[in-house]
Amino acid sequence: MNLIDQLNALVPAFEESLAKAHTLPQVEELQTAYLGRKGQLAGLMSRLPELTPQERPLFGKSANAVKERLQASMNARLATLNAAQEEAELARFDATLPGRAPWQGTLHPTTLVMEEICSVLTGLGFDVISGPEVETDFHCFEALNLPKDHPARDMQDTLYVTDSIVMRTHTSPMQVRAMLERKKPPLAVIAPGKVYRRDSDITHTPMFHQIEGLLVDKNVSLTHLRGILTAFVRQLFGKDMQVRFRPSFFPFTEPSIEVDISCILCGGKGHVGSTPCRVCKTTGWLEVLGCGMVDPAVFRAVGFDEECTGFAFGLGVERITMLKYGITDLRIFFENDLRFLSQFA
Amino acid sequence: MLVPLSWLREFVPYQGTAQELGDRLTMLGLELEGITNPFAGLEPIVVGHVQQCGKHPEADKLSVCRVDVGNEVLDIVCGAPNVRQGLKVAVVKVGTTLPNGLTIKKATLRGAPSCGMICSEDELGLSDEHDGIMELPQHLTPGQPLLEALGLDTEVLDISITPNRGDCLSILGIARETALAFSLPLTLPEAKLVETDQPAADAVSIHIEAPELCPMYAARVLENAPSAKSPDWLRYRLHAAGVRAISNHVDVTNYIMLELGQPLHAFDLETVRGAAIHVRGADQDEKFTTLDNKTHTLNPADITIRDAERIVALGGVMGGLNSEITDKSSRVLLECARFNPSNIRRTARRLAQHSEASYRFERGVDQLNADYVLNRAASLMAELSGGTVRKGIVKAEPKPWQAPAITLRRQRAVDLLGVDMPTAFCESTLTTLGCRLQAGPAAQTANVACPEIWQVTPPSYRHDLACEADLIEELVRVYGVDNIPPVLPGIIKPLEDTGKPEPAHAFRTRIKHWACGLGLNEAVNYSFVSHKELDFLGQPAEGRISIMNPLSDEQNVLRTHLAAGLLQNLRTNIAQGANGVRLFEVATSFVAAPQTETTAQESTRLAVLLYGNRFDGAWPQTQAEHDYQDIKGIVEHLARHLHLPALSWKQETVAPWLAPGVGIYAGETCIGYAGRVKPALADAFHAKKPVWLAELFLDVLYTMHLTQRIRFAPMPTFPAVRRDITFMCPHGLEVGAVLACIQSQKLPLLADVKLIDLFEPKGGEERNLTFRLTFRHSEKTLQDAEVDKMRDMAVSRVCKELGVRV
Repeated sequence: MNLIDQLNALVPAFEESLAKAHTLPQVEELQTAYLGRKGQLAGLMSRLPELTPQERPLFGKSANAVKERLQASMNARLATLNAAQEEAELARFDATLPGRAPWQGTLHPTTLVMEEICSVLTGLGFDVISGPEVETDFHCFEALNLPKDHPARDMQDTLYVTDSIVMRTHTSPMQVRAMLERKKPPLAVIAPGKVYRRDSDITHTPMFHQIEGLLVDKNVSLTHLRGILTAFVRQLFGKDMQVRFRPSFFPFTEPSIEVDISCILCGGKGHVGSTPCRVCKTTGWLEVLGCGMVDPAVFRAVGFDEECTGFAFGLGVERITMLKYGITDLRIFFENDLRFLSQFA
Repeated sequence: MLVPLSWLREFVPYQGTAQELGDRLTMLGLELEGITNPFAGLEPIVVGHVQQCGKHPEADKLSVCRVDVGNEVLDIVCGAPNVRQGLKVAVVKVGTTLPNGLTIKKATLRGAPSCGMICSEDELGLSDEHDGIMELPQHLTPGQPLLEALGLDTEVLDISITPNRGDCLSILGIARETALAFSLPLTLPEAKLVETDQPAADAVSIHIEAPELCPMYAARVLENAPSAKSPDWLRYRLHAAGVRAISNHVDVTNYIMLELGQPLHAFDLETVRGAAIHVRGADQDEKFTTLDNKTHTLNPADITIRDAERIVALGGVMGGLNSEITDKSSRVLLECARFNPSNIRRTARRLAQHSEASYRFERGVDQLNADYVLNRAASLMAELSGGTVRKGIVKAEPKPWQAPAITLRRQRAVDLLGVDMPTAFCESTLTTLGCRLQAGPAAQTANVACPEIWQVTPPSYRHDLACEADLIEELVRVYGVDNIPPVLPGIIKPLEDTGKPEPAHAFRTRIKHWACGLGLNEAVNYSFVSHKELDFLGQPAEGRISIMNPLSDEQNVLRTHLAAGLLQNLRTNIAQGANGVRLFEVATSFVAAPQTETTAQESTRLAVLLYGNRFDGAWPQTQAEHDYQDIKGIVEHLARHLHLPALSWKQETVAPWLAPGVGIYAGETCIGYAGRVKPALADAFHAKKPVWLAELFLDVLYTMHLTQRIRFAPMPTFPAVRRDITFMCPHGLEVGAVLACIQSQKLPLLADVKLIDLFEPKGGEERNLTFRLTFRHSEKTLQDAEVDKMRDMAVSRVCKELGVRV
């Protein structure tokens, strides 16, 4: 057998061995045996000097062809084996293993609801303002048409720091601060924040959150108040939500309105199936906020023209939060039990 | 305000249901709280007729009766001393449960069978009367249900009255609103008064010495009017309205107060010395004993009613022990007055003597109705006691009632309400409400009658109608506030409002979202803690703001920092079995600042608490506990989030509850502190593992953040070359010192240096700190040789200055 024949014979021999190689090391072993520096191909190539100068070009060409063929066969085998290995690895992959998740942070439910409310109202054109929680009697009461010795002061049990300094009982002093600072209309602000009352039972905590709203401009009317509140309630609870206006009394608004929305649980029917609704006590309505047209006495106290028109509203955030998430006990809001907090991820 | 429906119907012929009425009143601003039946449980009680009554053969105090209850005749054994033949009585049959929980069973009493019970008022919950059985009127029919037979008020509306509507604290007031709601006529009961020829003015004289405290004081005098028990109808009605019956004169004053809204007081005229009444403020520190036997120390703002010698009543609040009606009284001085609401309120509050009377005086009573009230009350007293009424009303009225004249512009109503208010509607509504209207502007401005403007005089009982807006409220109340349509306004803002920095509230919200995203759970705690807690943590006493009237000692001071609240939350969660706790809170802390407007300096803080396991311990997270690097890393993360310059950290005394405590600085400015809660303190919160806390001053961060701008820097073109170097440093040499030493050399090509490894050989005196130095040239690729040279410079300086080895 001449050298060229010997060269060509490498191909079937290599391929036959490759077919029997089932692992990467076996293939690598064959690679060394045939294609390595001291392998069979190299051995044959080293015998080039045995050939005549006329034979050499053909031999060289054949050697290259054989080398390419061996390489190709090996690559194909490697590809097959790699593919098989990948497949085996994929078969072992367990997609159901737990993830390495960072700790789940949560926002307090009152934060979530307060933010939602603020975002609805800022979208309607109100600016957010904030101010002190320890307040003067003037900002908290006097300027809001709640003179000393007025029975309306009974409506809110106050925590006092001194005789003339109180923990704010509502966010309404922010109305006073905003108007004093602005000096004249127009003004469209909301003031979210903590408020304090001397009250503690199943439905009252000594601290809770309110959002105050105030719009003062030319030609602001009660219809606008209803428009804003309707938009707000729909955004928060859905398009079908009904809003009811009821006359009430707050010293700083005239007329004063109490706002009810259709009951979240029974949808305003008063009954769930045949059982009386426990949320609205069968009335079909839930009281959610107080509001009204700004009393001229308030405008007078802050130096605004009494002929101004404006409305103000104040809503309790915890109340809305309880309705929204179906929370039945107010006190757990401030216990900060992770079993509670972690539900609001 | 409890309103028995049957009482209300004496004023207004309302025929609908209590619920319907309550719903309608609710929509007029008088909110229905509920409908109750004060006589609930008495439905099965029937009228019985005692046909026979004989002594029990075996027991002296028992009687054996045959009682006709309509459809049958029952044998009943009765122990009451007043049971006798021919009596009409209240009978409970076998199987009935009384309001007091007692179930009547068939029984045999000392051998005599008893199939039911004859009741006393006490047993039926009608009064405390338990000396004998009820003796019912003779005209009743046996078998008739008791409720129906006595015409008891079984439907009582509980209506919540807002502080402005003092006029609705009476049956009359609610009747006015009912008449308005259903367009019904209002009828006042007639006062059938028979007077004697003796003038009342001969029996008493009235002198008001302080008209600003008492604009009007009127009285009537009754003679030969013995005090006695009130008739059943009166006692049961008072019971229905939630008032305890006492005796005829006192009961009438209460009855008329509930009915007409005017508090009355009955004096025993025999005890009023000098036949004179004086009204004025008390002397400073004057003592007076009210009829509940409490002695009070008074001041000149307290309104006193005095005879010629002494105080006999605390005007509008409570009568005196020295002049009250007793069993022996038969001459009555009946007072009907109006007092200054502010004084009444102050006195009642200061002395904690709130009464039904003071409640009404605080909210204002109807001065013009005094004569009618006195006539009705006196006639009723005379009727019940058989006494006589002296001729005339003795009255002093230094300040007659003056109704305000209010200008009402129709257009203003339309503007404020956003709906049309037709002229005819305005006029008829206000007239129905009892206002007097005069068309046209106030007399001094024009003479021409103008149909769009009225001068309105509100009725004397509506003290809440004082300005135009009040009248507009009345218009819309009758129009129906729920008929106001919703219209979304376009909110117009001045241009000056634009271009302002991010509001503080938005910044705080952003911080909360950052913390949540980082895996912290938001807590919200009360702003108050206890002095005890602050003492425990070692917080100095100065600067604290106390609550004057705290709900409890647990909440008697405002928090000066947020740690106390979070530590309480930690305790709560450890008790619930939490192994890892990562809480944050954004809230206000309070420090006394006496010179400021509110005497408090409020600053917003962010507090973070880390405790226990860093992860929940489940695969594939590794088990590890929170440490200093966690709390520091969180703060550094926030600093980068807010684009703040690099922070520096100094171990120092920052808060008495932290050790180590670390002050955190951005440049020279302290932005907060961090540290580990002292184990002895943490132990009190049941924390057995380290508790790490950071508290940052958000107001400072907010201000700093506002000035920070993101500036783009071009990315480097040429590659960086890194060199790692390990120093063997003695314990006590801070990493920061090594970093500072390297950086202070200001090597021109050194782009960055950071600690990449820390190894502490066990028991060694040193620790190995490996730093990575990154070099870069902005215009060329660095050669190894020049980098090595710079590294060597840095290293030798560190070794020399800090005395460490490489």
